[in-house]
Amino acid sequence: MDELKIKQGLKDFFCNNLGIEADQLEYDTPLFSDGIGLDSIDSLEIISYVDGEYGVSMTGVGKDHFYNIDAIAAYIVANS
Amino acid sequence: MNIDWVNTKIKQRPPFQMIEKVVEYEAGESAVGIKNVSVNEPYFVGHFPDAPIMPGVLIIEACAQLCSIVMTSGDVKDDDKVLYVLLKVDGFKFVKPVIPGDTLKISVKKTRAGGPLVTFDATAQVNDTVCAKGSMTFTVTDKAGIYSDK
Repeated sequence: MDELKIKQGLKDFFCNNLGIEADQLEYDTPLFSDGIGLDSIDSLEIISYVDGEYGVSMTGVGKDHFYNIDAIAAYIVANS
Repeated sequence: MNIDWVNTKIKQRPPFQMIEKVVEYEAGESAVGIKNVSVNEPYFVGHFPDAPIMPGVLIIEACAQLCSIVMTSGDVKDDDKVLYVLLKVDGFKFVKPVIPGDTLKISVKKTRAGGPLVTFDATAQVNDTVCAKGSMTFTVTDKAGIYSDK
């Protein structure tokens, strides 16, 4: 699985579905409290997107794997 | 499916029961439900005293209750332990006022399900005219967990 394509897909998802401006979001930008301020509902949206798009369940996965787009993409690659 | 059947599917009761009959039903996928809007509804006393209009948030609630009917498994043991919780409402429009005497025909259809979330498109019509439409996202949560740390 092409990790770069996954990162781009995640970024598109954040911008199109979670209302994040593309110029505020790099692959290493922290997503939650000290970053762009996503909330717990957004984390469920991310889990739903990853499950639907890549067939990878992130339910119950530690928050380190949601730290930024790099971390989510790495988890998808490692678990698909 | 009449009110007896509806009562086996949802836990809401008057004056907060917004679905009275279900005329089409595909478990886990879609449904069409009916809500008769009576002038006796308690909210018309204040919304508004001289111009009764069904509040938009209650149209959303009616749509949400129909979605929960679609999501309910039908297994009483399972359904007693969980709640279907509305997490997000997107793009709702209130196109035309709903007033006493109207019969609200609500249609919901699942559009996305992945991980913990289920999303529906919802439309509310009166006499085949769209009054409101939008989408809503739910998750299922363990009922015990909601109250455990309060």
